[in-house]
Amino acid sequence: MLYKILIVDDEPPVRDLFGDLFKREDCHSVACASGEEALEYLKNDVFDVVLLDIKLPGMSGLEVLKNIRDTHKNLPVIMITGFGFDEDLIAKSKQFGCSGYIGKNMPVAQIIATFKQFVKNAKEKGPL
Amino acid sequence: MGIDIKEKLSNLIENTAVAVLYLDCNGNILFCNKKTEALVGLNRIDIISKNWLEVLFKGTSNIMTKEMFKAVMEDSKNYKRAKDFQCHILSTNGLERLISWSITPIFNKNNQTTEESALFGHDITEIKERETSVKNIDDSLKNIFSSIKEYALYVINLDGNITYFGMGSETMLGWSKRDIIFKHISTIHNIDGNVFNLSFILEQVRLFGKYETETEIINKNKEVIPVMLTVNQFLDSTGKLIGYIFIAKDMTERKKLEYQIFQAEKLAALGQLSAGMAHEINNPLFVISGRIEMLKAEKLSQKVKDNLALINSQTDRIRKLVDRILKFSRKSTPVLEAIDVNDVIELVLPLIHYNKLPASKIEIEKTFEKNMPLIKGDLHQLQEVFLNILINAYQSMPSGGLIKIITSNFKNLYAQIQIIDTGKGIPAHNLKDIFMPFFSTKSDGTGLGLSICHNIIENHNGSIELESQVNKGSTFTIKLPFI
Repeated sequence: MLYKILIVDDEPPVRDLFGDLFKREDCHSVACASGEEALEYLKNDVFDVVLLDIKLPGMSGLEVLKNIRDTHKNLPVIMITGFGFDEDLIAKSKQFGCSGYIGKNMPVAQIIATFKQFVKNAKEKGPL
Repeated sequence: MGIDIKEKLSNLIENTAVAVLYLDCNGNILFCNKKTEALVGLNRIDIISKNWLEVLFKGTSNIMTKEMFKAVMEDSKNYKRAKDFQCHILSTNGLERLISWSITPIFNKNNQTTEESALFGHDITEIKERETSVKNIDDSLKNIFSSIKEYALYVINLDGNITYFGMGSETMLGWSKRDIIFKHISTIHNIDGNVFNLSFILEQVRLFGKYETETEIINKNKEVIPVMLTVNQFLDSTGKLIGYIFIAKDMTERKKLEYQIFQAEKLAALGQLSAGMAHEINNPLFVISGRIEMLKAEKLSQKVKDNLALINSQTDRIRKLVDRILKFSRKSTPVLEAIDVNDVIELVLPLIHYNKLPASKIEIEKTFEKNMPLIKGDLHQLQEVFLNILINAYQSMPSGGLIKIITSNFKNLYAQIQIIDTGKGIPAHNLKDIFMPFFSTKSDGTGLGLSICHNIIENHNGSIELESQVNKGSTFTIKLPFI
């Protein structure tokens, strides 16, 4: 197994798709639908990387990221959003210590490749 | 003549408000009256037997006036007739007074000249001043009226013929007074159109004395001008209706502004809507294309594979469109750095060929300003602008052509970049919408490219303009302020 991934996205079809895509890449993934759940998962389990949607019901992705950084300084967290490359969102994500940023508007193959590259960089150099 | 009359005459001359001087054949003063003393500020003893020019022009350096006066005097003597002349003389308090002189040769009983003459001087300084100030008021009123350009004031008689055409009428309507006076009002007003019916307006004026409405008038070039029109009754001194007075205020600029504000509000609303919409589309779209990606790995019949490829390419099309919409709606603040626009263009040129372009022979000719001052700009955003315009230029020349890129220093204020193609051009009626979102002249365009360019340039406090002629080509002119 390459990585153990925590997927945080409120839309089941998106979670499922990521699950299937990662499986193909020889990764194991666990999915949850909200930030609160994600923080709970991180308390009880160890992950190699978190894939975190920015627009979430309740706690926003950015808040979740901030909370994760309180406890997990070096855990790779990659932000994902349907808003595409929004410079403000990218700047904020970087400020809160994300390890990468992916727009859902990219072609799927590119999303996976970028994701893997970000995780590799994060493992080597830490957060952005 | 009795003694009584002589005395009365002498009193009359002495007390009149006109300066009276009697000169001998040499121009020496034989006698003068009280007014003369007052005017020149000398006592009679100092005036009598002096030369008249010396007395009147004492201390003035105005040789011209003095000589002219002398000439008029000679003239009067030679031709034996009275002559009038106006000149300034220096009065007691040192101020100049304007005097109107009458010079009269004196005849003897046999009607022969005696070589003597009389001078009557009337001080007209105050009269002249009043005249001048009235004339000044007249002049400034005229100036005020002719300076008013936003209002046209014109009058028609009861037959509907124009009898007065003043204020800004000539400027606003393009007609000269001479050409339009006595022409019928239908020359500038729609008489029986459904919307701006003048007959209806005049009916209202007859009923209520006055009518105000937004309407349109037509200028000499048959162009329509939106105006705020006030029509009043024109009454003679007995109160009889003799015509109508029109005052039209030009609303063109105001309408333009209103339209711009309306467009800006529309765009802002559209931007918000599309950002939200794009996000909602991106999620399902991602799932669809992801699932297609997964299916590609399965063992499938050729037919299914073909269908999948089609679904994939169509999904990709939507994805790209949504991408454009997001880019358009996003008010991203430019990340400003000092850059040379020439460099930006050099960076863009190699990128053109990564885009789907018609396989035609296109030459690029660059004329760059050598010492271009730097501008403050976002490199990526500006690259996108130039790339977009260059791609448009390529696409407008399917059978080949020339693209000229000219950069220059515009008045030391702006870096000016012109991109000129020899392509299909854009018809005039499409030009005004060319920067509007979702407006495209291409069958496969999203209509967002140029509106994104427009937004980016505007965020840089610059300007972008397009001139185009069908089948001749288009010229984009971009100006970006120097640091």
